[in-house]
Amino acid sequence: MLSPALLIVCGLFIGGLALGFVGSLGYMPLIGQETFNLDAYRQILLSERFLLSFLLTFHIAFTSTVIASLLALGAALILRQSFLGRSVINFLFQINLTVPHLVGAVGILYLFSQSGVFARLAYEFSLISKPSEFPAMIFDPLAIGIIMQYVWKEIPFIGLILLANMQTIGRDYEAVAQSLGASRWQSFRHVLLPLLMPGLLTSGMIVFAFTFGAYEIPALLGQNYPAALPVLAYQAFTDVDLNARPEALAMAMIIALLSAVMIYGYARFTRRYIRK
Amino acid sequence: MSDLALEHLTKIYPGSETPAVEGVSLNVESGSLTALLGPSACGKSTILKMIAGLLTPTSGDIRFAGSSVLKQPPQSRDAVMVFQDHLLFPYLTVGENVGFGLKMRVQAKAKINRAVGEILELVQLSGLEQRKPSELSGGQQQRVALARALILRPRILLLDEPFSNLDESLRLEMQTLLKSLHAEMKTTMLFVTHDQEEAITLADKIALLLSGRLRQYDIPQNLYNHPKDREVAQFFGARNFISGRVEAGKFDCPLGQIVLPENAPADGRLLTIRPENIVIGSNASSDNSFPATIASKKFLGSQTRLELDATGQELTVLLSPNIAESLQAGTEIIIQLPRQSLWVLP
Repeated sequence: MLSPALLIVCGLFIGGLALGFVGSLGYMPLIGQETFNLDAYRQILLSERFLLSFLLTFHIAFTSTVIASLLALGAALILRQSFLGRSVINFLFQINLTVPHLVGAVGILYLFSQSGVFARLAYEFSLISKPSEFPAMIFDPLAIGIIMQYVWKEIPFIGLILLANMQTIGRDYEAVAQSLGASRWQSFRHVLLPLLMPGLLTSGMIVFAFTFGAYEIPALLGQNYPAALPVLAYQAFTDVDLNARPEALAMAMIIALLSAVMIYGYARFTRRYIRK
Repeated sequence: MSDLALEHLTKIYPGSETPAVEGVSLNVESGSLTALLGPSACGKSTILKMIAGLLTPTSGDIRFAGSSVLKQPPQSRDAVMVFQDHLLFPYLTVGENVGFGLKMRVQAKAKINRAVGEILELVQLSGLEQRKPSELSGGQQQRVALARALILRPRILLLDEPFSNLDESLRLEMQTLLKSLHAEMKTTMLFVTHDQEEAITLADKIALLLSGRLRQYDIPQNLYNHPKDREVAQFFGARNFISGRVEAGKFDCPLGQIVLPENAPADGRLLTIRPENIVIGSNASSDNSFPATIASKKFLGSQTRLELDATGQELTVLLSPNIAESLQAGTEIIIQLPRQSLWVLP
């Protein structure tokens, strides 16, 4: 029953990966290159531009994931309680899941750029003497706008997974811990958090992989140099000089590999931290 | 001395009009093993959770050694609860699970390890410190849950149907273990069960709860032989109830005059005798002997049940299958209601 779906998914995924890998090795019969070499990888790994792009992309993915995970955990803990208006708050919490990333990015641009709503409000209230004095959060070196967008969008995603986990876990384990002498903080730290870790890790990894490999938000809200890795790869791929294409494909291969390695590392780091 | 006292304890859950627990007052002696017995949803677990501090009573008080603990959070009460589903932390080893409470009290690691070793030896699980709960059998998991609670040497140990998920042989094994642990540690233990046999086997005293109310609190023999009212008697398996009234040490009823034991209440209107205590085939002239006809006979395995018609009064008798072999439906027999087996209810 699963075979047709698996065939399509695996065919497209493995096929695309294989074609990209072959292209990254310099094999491009279209422009007369019919030999395999590692020149594209060598050039990329030795270039400062790539290194800076990698650091920026890692910073965006890691910071977004950590902030979104922490805020989602806090939100899930609050939404787990019974209080008046909980269903309304719960609805509002989930609503931006339906908003596309691009729409969110335009919103961030509209609100937080130096010509945006907050800059103009700050100017109107004489907090700044001209809009350009408003802190740069868009096209900035720290990628604050990009991180804000990802955090805003991913909190409900992680939060919903955690809420579902909390419902499954129930409150009995915490009751046991309290009965055994744990304070509320201890029962959270030593019981609920470890029980939530699989869900937190899984959702964190999905967010990390997505933010590490996503193109459109860094393209819209990011600076030109250094650009995020997917933006750099796209620029090279669409270069009029076809000789740049093996480098673009090598970059894509490296992004895929780094994503896999970093997801593994993130999982190990978090697990070890929580078990301490 | 009373270690635990419940005073007019009532719990009404939000959104409910019927109290889950209503006006329960109880004194549990220090070092005793007490059973909270009752059918499902009669409020037993609610009482345990209120004692542990996991639920707040609607009204009433809970006292440990005379002092109210209502304002104390669960972690300060010195009452540890063992749950029905053992609820071992799946991400910790057996040793870490058992040492959890001491870790929360920020004890030194060496001290925790030593205490874990000692308590695991006590529950016969030495050498399993490094196993994960998922690698243990159901009985072993419940032993770990017991060890995890006992390592703290709590003032009161609360057990919520601890053995109900175990099969028969494991349950008997765990009951023996609990009894020996109680004898050794002298901890005040309060355990919840719906199994009257378990309560009678284990408990020094039984508190019978029906519909959230405490109906009788007494030693097992008295609950069994001298129930307070018809519902208590029925809960313990009584089936024979004869209407009448007490007059001068005798019970006047359609069967005739039945001689009562000396300690029988003087103002009852219902006579009861357990099915296994009715004697068949005695002399018609002896005390409390009456003619009866066997209406039906049913083989139940270790016993045979006879339904009798004694001058219009229906009675149930339980006999050994060997004795019942020669008796058939329609046979006329003589039954005797031994004086010491009779009890009068309001």
